Amino acid sequence: MNAMVLTMAAAAAVASGTPLVLAALGGLLGERSGVVNIGIEGMMLIGAVAAFLTAQATESIPLALLAGLLAGAALALVHSFLSVTMRANQIVAGLAIVIFGSGIATFFGKSVEGQAIAVRISPYKVPVLADIPVVGRILFQQDAMVYASWILVVLVALYFRYTRAGLAMRSVGESPATADVMGIRVAAVQYCHTVAGGALIGLAGAYLVLARVPNWSQAGTTSGLGWIAVALVVFSSWQPLRVVAGAYLFGLALRANFTLQAAGIGSVPAEVLSMLPYLLTIAVLILLSFFDRQNRLGAPAALGKPYFRNER
Amino acid sequence: MASRPAGGERGRAGASGALLAEARNVSKAFTGVLANDRVDFELRAGEIHALLGENGAGKSTLASILTGLYSADSGEIRVAGQPVSFRSPRDALARGVGIIHQHFHLVDRFTVAENIVLGDTRQGFFMSPAGIRRAVADLGDRYGLEIAPDATVAELSLGERQRVEIVKMLVREVDVLFLDEPTAVLAPGEVEALFATLRRMADDGKAIALVTHKLNEVFSICDRATVMRGGKVVAAAAIKDFTPETIARAMVGRDVDLKPRPSTRPPGAVVLAARGLGMEAGHHCGLHGVDLEIRAGEIVGIAGVAGNGQLQLAEVLAGLQQPDAGKVTVNGTDVTGKGPHAARNAGLAYVPEDRLGTGLASGLSIADNLMLTSDTGFLFDRGGSRKKAAAAIGEYRVKASGPEEVVRRLSGGNVQKILLARELGNKASVFVVASPARGLDVAGIEFVRNLLQDYRDRGAAILLISEDLDEVRLLSDRIVVMHAGHITHQCAAADYDEAAIGLAISGYSGGGRFADTR
Amino acid sequence: MLTLDRRLHTGPFLYVAVPLCSVVLALLVGAVFLAVNGFDPLVIYREMLTASFATRYGIEDTIVSATPILLTGLAAAITFRFKLYNIGAEGQLVVGGICAAAAALFIGDTLSGPPAVLLVLIAGMLGGAAWMVVPALARIRLGTSEIITTLLLNYVAVLFARLLIFGSNTPLRDPTSTNFPQGTRIPSGTFLMEFGTSRIHLGFVIGCAVAVLVFFLLRDTRLGFRARVVGDSPGAARYAGINAPATALALLLISGALAGLAGASEVAGRAHRLDPNGLAVGFGYTGIIVAALALYNPLAVVPVAILLGGLANAGETLQSVSGLSVPSSISVVLQGAILIFLLAAEIFLHYRVRRVHRLPARPAEGSP
Repeated sequence: MNAMVLTMAAAAAVASGTPLVLAALGGLLGERSGVVNIGIEGMMLIGAVAAFLTAQATESIPLALLAGLLAGAALALVHSFLSVTMRANQIVAGLAIVIFGSGIATFFGKSVEGQAIAVRISPYKVPVLADIPVVGRILFQQDAMVYASWILVVLVALYFRYTRAGLAMRSVGESPATADVMGIRVAAVQYCHTVAGGALIGLAGAYLVLARVPNWSQAGTTSGLGWIAVALVVFSSWQPLRVVAGAYLFGLALRANFTLQAAGIGSVPAEVLSMLPYLLTIAVLILLSFFDRQNRLGAPAALGKPYFRNER
Repeated sequence: MASRPAGGERGRAGASGALLAEARNVSKAFTGVLANDRVDFELRAGEIHALLGENGAGKSTLASILTGLYSADSGEIRVAGQPVSFRSPRDALARGVGIIHQHFHLVDRFTVAENIVLGDTRQGFFMSPAGIRRAVADLGDRYGLEIAPDATVAELSLGERQRVEIVKMLVREVDVLFLDEPTAVLAPGEVEALFATLRRMADDGKAIALVTHKLNEVFSICDRATVMRGGKVVAAAAIKDFTPETIARAMVGRDVDLKPRPSTRPPGAVVLAARGLGMEAGHHCGLHGVDLEIRAGEIVGIAGVAGNGQLQLAEVLAGLQQPDAGKVTVNGTDVTGKGPHAARNAGLAYVPEDRLGTGLASGLSIADNLMLTSDTGFLFDRGGSRKKAAAAIGEYRVKASGPEEVVRRLSGGNVQKILLARELGNKASVFVVASPARGLDVAGIEFVRNLLQDYRDRGAAILLISEDLDEVRLLSDRIVVMHAGHITHQCAAADYDEAAIGLAISGYSGGGRFADTR
Repeated sequence: MLTLDRRLHTGPFLYVAVPLCSVVLALLVGAVFLAVNGFDPLVIYREMLTASFATRYGIEDTIVSATPILLTGLAAAITFRFKLYNIGAEGQLVVGGICAAAAALFIGDTLSGPPAVLLVLIAGMLGGAAWMVVPALARIRLGTSEIITTLLLNYVAVLFARLLIFGSNTPLRDPTSTNFPQGTRIPSGTFLMEFGTSRIHLGFVIGCAVAVLVFFLLRDTRLGFRARVVGDSPGAARYAGINAPATALALLLISGALAGLAGASEVAGRAHRLDPNGLAVGFGYTGIIVAALALYNPLAVVPVAILLGGLANAGETLQSVSGLSVPSSISVVLQGAILIFLLAAEIFLHYRVRRVHRLPARPAEGSP
């Protein structure tokens, strides 16, 4: 293991982790307003297939990204309708979203099975910053979406902390009864943030096919990445800045087999290496619970509870 | 924003202040129940007005209509002489009419400043902490409210949280403020501070309405009173035109028997004994050296404001919590820390204050709930549970559609009847009962009190925990006072000393036997 | 403006109408979806109906498809009903299948007939329960969300099964299959009995029997009662001295065992070998839909499983019928739509919609 391998591994971790950053950020946005979202996998898949098909048809990256964004938002609208208006069990609603979303993705993906995508996002070296030794290679030779993800994370963090709308949103997630009495429109806030979150998740799926996994494969495009994002939301204590750290950690695990091969460690069966990200996520979750028994990890107090006015 | 009435006349003149809010011929019905029946109500600038009535009289409904939560079925609401139709509490607030509910509407995780600013549309896109701090400090000076803008609400006491709610209303420039049962959660000293604040607000031209059922406080601070009963207004006049007896009779509609019914026999053997109970303070004040003895055929009443260790004491006795020190003996058996089954098998029954969250599984049927504390074998006897439920419904005259009805659908009084039916029917000899009559209407309160006294007369030992000092005094043979996890006073009912007990509730050791006070 | 009123009483009619309407609405939306994508919905639906319910072969196929999702449906029902979310039935089924195949091969020729089959099924159940142990313990001791842990183990289980057959040389892998690896065929003494010439195997009967058992378990035993209390009110459970963690553990492990049984049934009854690609096809997730549509009632799971089994079958058939070329994933889309509509419709079980012209009002907690 020399410095070169480590640097490349770190750079690869940032790249692989970026879909997670976007997806977890999207999930977090809705959950801070009180709506649990375990349907991230479905929203990512539908964003991915929308972007893929758009890319094949138009060969335009912006359009493909937009398609992914809109697809994710549309599915999130369904989730909002079930969770906020129909007061359904939000966990089961998320599962329905996953099943439905993956069904739609498989349905439309059949026509492009095995194809390679027509356009790809290429890396963009930030002038000056890219030449910094080590750090430059890791951080500033990524593609535009990576840079955008940082900006988005910071914007969301600022939004939560320093704006009146962010305060209103947080109050909905903590105590919808209080927010309602103070004149805040609880349902509207939850819809907006869940759908906006869905847009980010769809964008994550779009980015995945445009930059990370360039072939459409019925079985393996997201392969559970959406579920790792769900875990990441918990792992980050619902805080945008922590999402980034966790995402890159998982990004490292995702690239484990390449990293290990480059380091000269071969002959671990491919299946075992593929298990690593999932096992790592489970281990991290369990460790986290072990160290945090009282606090419920800072979840918004009213997370997952449908709000009925006048029924406390 | 709509125009606001100018500040009215000052002082206790009451009748001469400008009319800030009124209800004219207002009626409101909920599925079959006429909660407000052609009600007239007037609120003037500069007055503190008591809106009195027992639970179920309709006073909270009227307040909710006047503050925008409900809309009246018929009649008219006016603010400063102008007819209004509120579509939400926010509308009412925009016209200067606000309410502070019994359960505060605060976000625990936010700071005081964030709670005050929440939903205030006059703030810009980005919030300004300095501006809030200044506004809060100004208001605090003006009305004598001590308040720390950067404290997290979760850390505040209930009295301090109430102050935050008041500042929240003042910042929004309310002219009319309703307070729903504001003193229920306060210690005696805090009640005085609240009344001082309210007085200053009234002197400043605002109109204050206190929705309450506590008579003694009404006489100490209010200028006028309106009494409701069964949805109608039965009396409305200046306080000086009332006496406690006339108000009480107006509230209840008949002469209420306020005399205690003491036990006719001397108490028997000790059946429940707690020695040296101790528990470390954490989110609660803990327990410190609590010694308690209850004998067969007596009611021992624990008085004190909620949150002074009563819940912890009850749960330790019932086996739900383990004490850090001390011993609990029920009918001679040591049940300390052995769990609820041990206490129950030794003959103890526990009627908790939190009926729907602890004593009952609110989403399950009456039949299931009656079996909650029974020891069943591997098989669950469904037929038996239904028979039991039918019997209980008949015996206690519960208004329910049958054994399968979900408990959550029952009204407050009927919920309590189910809980009592189960615990009193379990062949226990010791009963720990917390706030048994809270939230019930007059008939329900009388029912519960008579029931407890009947059981006492038949030889049961009852530990009554209640924040209502009058209730404790009425029912108990012996009175114990708790403060901050200590027992600060003990005496026989016959030796009741109002002053000493008041001091003991606030934490000063009074007459009778002493215990550690700090 | 519309408002929701709490119902005083939910009639039995609603308990059938709500799931039924969800299916109908989903089919309608599916029809629109198909039409928009250039397919003729009437033709498609008629094909699906015929394929699954009108021919003898189709009905057999439907019942064979219904068998595993009947069991995973039960697995989901006994947990979801009490607010425990076992989403790992998919993986528990696979691990159950692995254990069943291993047990069958281990038994070899030493035993055959009912004792052998029984051992194989028990092995499957133990495997499924074992795969549940870590998430269950983490949930009851540490409060770790079982949603994510059980779900992620699904992926691990499938990878494990692939490893055994495609990635290594264990006895589970058929040594004679050199071109394309596949699982070793289990000895015929361990097969689940088939009915005559049909492919319906004993697994379906076992599933129905288990459904009845689970129904009585939940309604008439102490465990069922405790589960009800724990699922409804942790506060009441504590007050009553019910050991909530033990109850939750029992439910989760039974659920895992049921899913494992489904895997064993697939191995011993249908595939007769460990076939990762045939086991990990979404039975676990479909089971959740079955449970939800059955409103978590164990007896209702049986007819619902047959319905959804037919749906899944039909999807497969459609793909192979020439001239139609509808992707088989249409059945997944329809399943998802059914669940979505069910979730939306559930509220009508407990609430009624009413139109009002002003702000609605209900008595606040306490009294007017």
